[in-house]
Formats: sequence, structure tokens, C-alpha cells
Amino acid sequence: MIELESVALRYEAGPDILKDVNFKMKAGELCFLTGPSGAGKSTFLRLLFFALRPARGRARILGRDVASLKARELPLLRRKLGVVFQDFRLLDHLSVFENVALPLRAMGQTREAYERDVLDLLDWVGLKGRTADLPDTLSGGEKQRVAIARAVVTKPELILADEPTGNVDPALARRLLHLFLQLNKQGTTVFLATHDESLIAQTKGRAIHLEGGTLRDL
Amino acid sequence: MAQPGSKLSPIFPKGAAPLRALTVTMAVMCYLACLAIGALVLVDRAAEAWSQGIAREVTVQIREISGGNMEKSLTTALAILKTTPGVLDAKALDRQEGIKLLEPWLGKISMDELPVPRLIRVSVDEQAPPDYPALERSLQAEVKGISLDTHRRWQAELARMGRALSLLASLVLALITLASVMLVVFAARSVLEANRSVVEVLELIGAEHKFISRQNDSQFLATGLLAGFAGLIAGIATFAGLGFSGGVAGDSVAAAGRSLLFAPADVELRLWAGMLLVPLAATLIALWTSRITLIRMLRQHT
Repeated sequence: MIELESVALRYEAGPDILKDVNFKMKAGELCFLTGPSGAGKSTFLRLLFFALRPARGRARILGRDVASLKARELPLLRRKLGVVFQDFRLLDHLSVFENVALPLRAMGQTREAYERDVLDLLDWVGLKGRTADLPDTLSGGEKQRVAIARAVVTKPELILADEPTGNVDPALARRLLHLFLQLNKQGTTVFLATHDESLIAQTKGRAIHLEGGTLRDL
Repeated sequence: MAQPGSKLSPIFPKGAAPLRALTVTMAVMCYLACLAIGALVLVDRAAEAWSQGIAREVTVQIREISGGNMEKSLTTALAILKTTPGVLDAKALDRQEGIKLLEPWLGKISMDELPVPRLIRVSVDEQAPPDYPALERSLQAEVKGISLDTHRRWQAELARMGRALSLLASLVLALITLASVMLVVFAARSVLEANRSVVEVLELIGAEHKFISRQNDSQFLATGLLAGFAGLIAGIATFAGLGFSGGVAGDSVAAAGRSLLFAPADVELRLWAGMLLVPLAATLIALWTSRITLIRMLRQHT
């Protein structure tokens, strides 16, 4: 699913943020990425959702060499990914239902084709009664559940989450983690970046630590 | 906000400020385009009418020759003219009418002592005009001091002026089109910048550039249509105003406006067809320019 060999990452002519990173992840795995704030966790994730190309080394994600990808190939590849952010990145003028359905709408599906699935998904994340509400009226935990529903609505092969529990209380963090674990049990590969090591202790997933630009297994 | 089963909201928020500004400026451009089209048709029609008037008439001029008999010269010339094929009518202007024609240049002075030439107004068949060189030769053979003015020089001048004015109006239309394209490019860039976060989310979920640019189509379509019809209505109102406000606009301008509003069927058709193209052109410019601009910007962004 993910293969990184001696990968270095940096923004334009800036210094290396990641140096000589080697990492492999098989399909169906659950992996946590930890590290202090500013260690480069988000940059690492940007590589995984094809927003950055390696400065050096070789990166293969979803079976494709990232360095040789063409811009026109990105949309189809990104549909195999589900990405969840700490700041949710919901569209404020769209309802909960519309936000979750957005990836399917972008794929050209009709409302009739996806409405049932989206409503079932909102039921799964516990937001069945909030379908018509706007994101501004939701709590942080509810927004994150909408973001998770949007990330999984296309049944992606790989879910990437960047600090998904960063804006919620510990009880809600456990509930959100439970959603990711459920998805992993169903066979989806889950890669979750967090600085909250207590979350990792609650699962049997693999964990890696990023600090000083280098990666090590925990 | 959409309830399940209700209509979906547009992916880009409606009513972005750059679009409102674009609607107003495009409406002004469309209004100017309507005026340019009206002017183009007006000039074309006036030049055509003047040319036709000139082509229908020629003038024979007889200068005073010392010792000559002007009345006899006139009678001879009229006799030749009336028997020439292609001449429909020939009428000698009396001396006073000739003097009156000179007044704009010489003022109201006594011209009793001046050798004022006498004129014959000749109506000719436009379809089968006389052989002018042969006619001039036969007139000069019989009458001294006679000349034939076919107004060819004026006709050529008018045609040249008409072409220059048409070219100018076309240039104005081309500049308006160029300015409109640039306005739409600017607005499309502003809309994309204002919705940068929406674009980022769309790219992240795997939306293709075509899909993202299409989301703006309805907004730019509405902008083009609204601006186009606003400009068209304002343009029609202007010509109507010119047509009905003779006292304010002056007779010649009012007549020009009236001539457009109550022009012959073929001119009307040309005018309305030209003006109706304005909203269509505005809509196409808004739609295609915004689409191309957005796709180019998205490519740079990737």
C-alpha cells in the first residue's frame, strides 16, 4: 500500500523536513504516526495524499510511483484515499448531508444513487438527525464525524487522518478512534497521525515516531 | 441547506463580490457594444442612402460666356438630355435657385453683377445610367462652357468615410470584447482566490478540474445573461430616447435615432440581430473565458 525508500521531503528550496525515511505499510494495516508538534507529521501525510513529491528517494503509494505521477492522474488516485484533518475542512455553506455526499457528487454520481448510502453513513457516525444542519451549528466532535463520513463515503482503500482527535475531549476522542478501528476491521488501511500517545495505548496497532526528520518504530 | 430529497446547494457559495462587480461592468460594456452596433448600422445606412441619392442624380453646369445666350444654351442642353437613354428627367434651376445654392459659401450679397453659372438637375436611371463620357461629349459639342458633374468624387469620398466609420465602430466593438474578456479573467481569478479553501477540498476528494470549473458555470452564465440583457435594454432605451426627444437631442440626432427605430425592415433586422448578439456574446465570453481561466489556474495550482 505504502513503500518509502530513503525519502526526503522539503518545501521548495527550504531545508529537509524529512530525511532518509524508510517505511512500508501493507493493505489492511493500522498504523499510528506520533511525534511532537512541528516534527513534520502533516508534511508526511501530504506526501501520502499526493500533495508533495519526494525531494529524494522513492515513494510508491497505492502502487504508483509518486515522482512520476501526472496531474491528470491525481483525481482518480485521490478517490482511493480518504483524508481527515484536525480542522475538518468542511464546506460551511453546505449541509451535513451535502458535505458527506461531496466526493460522490464530484465523481458524477446522481443523488438517487448515493442518498441511501450517505444517510446510512450519517447514521453510523451518529448524525442521522443532523443531515440538514450547517457545519457552523455542529460541535467539534460532530464536525469531525462529518469529516470522517466524508472520507469514507467512497469506500477508500486507504484512510489518512491528521490529528483527528486534536479538537475533541478524551471521551469523544475514544469514540472517534472507535470509528477508525471499525473501518480497519472492515479491511480498510488506516494511517493516523496524532501526538496523543494515549490513543495508541488503547489499540494493538503499529506505531511509528517522527522526530528530527527521521522515523523510528515504537 | 439541503434536506434529503431537496435541491442540492451550489458547491461554490453564490453571490461572490467579484461577480457582482463583473455584472455591473459587463452591463456597461454591453451597453457600449449596443451603441457601437447602432452607430455601425446608422453610418452604414446613411452612407448607403447618400450614395443612392448621389447616384440617382447628376448636375449639368453652364458657365456664363461673354456674348453667349444662356437661355438658348439651356434649351439645347435640355433637348440633348431628354433624348439621352438613361435620363429620366432634366430640370433647369432658375438663376435665383442657383444664387441660393451659393449663399452658404458667399453669404447674402448682391450677385446681380456676378456671372452665376446655371444648373440643370438631371435624374438618371440607376439600373441603366447614361453613357456619361458620350453625353458630356455631345453636350460640349453643342453648348459652350458646359460641364457634367456625375458626383463620382463625392460618391468615392462618402464611401471612404462610411468605410472609415464602420472600421472605427468595429474597432470599438473589438476593444469592448477584449476588455470584457479581461474583466472575466480577472473576476474568475478573484472568485477562485476567494474560494481557495473550497478548491482545496475538492482537489483532495478527487474532483477533476473540469468538474471544479463547471461548478462556476451557472454563476458566470447568469452574469453574462444579466449583463447582456441589461446592456441591450439600456441600448434600446437610448435609441428610443434619441428618437422621441427631438428637442433635446437636436433634429439630426433625433432623426438618426428615429431612423433606427422606424427604419425599413431590412435595416431593422440588421440592427436588432446585431443588438441581440450582444447578450449572446456576453454569455459566451463569460462562460468560456471563466472556464478556460479556472482550468489554467487549477493546472498551475496542482
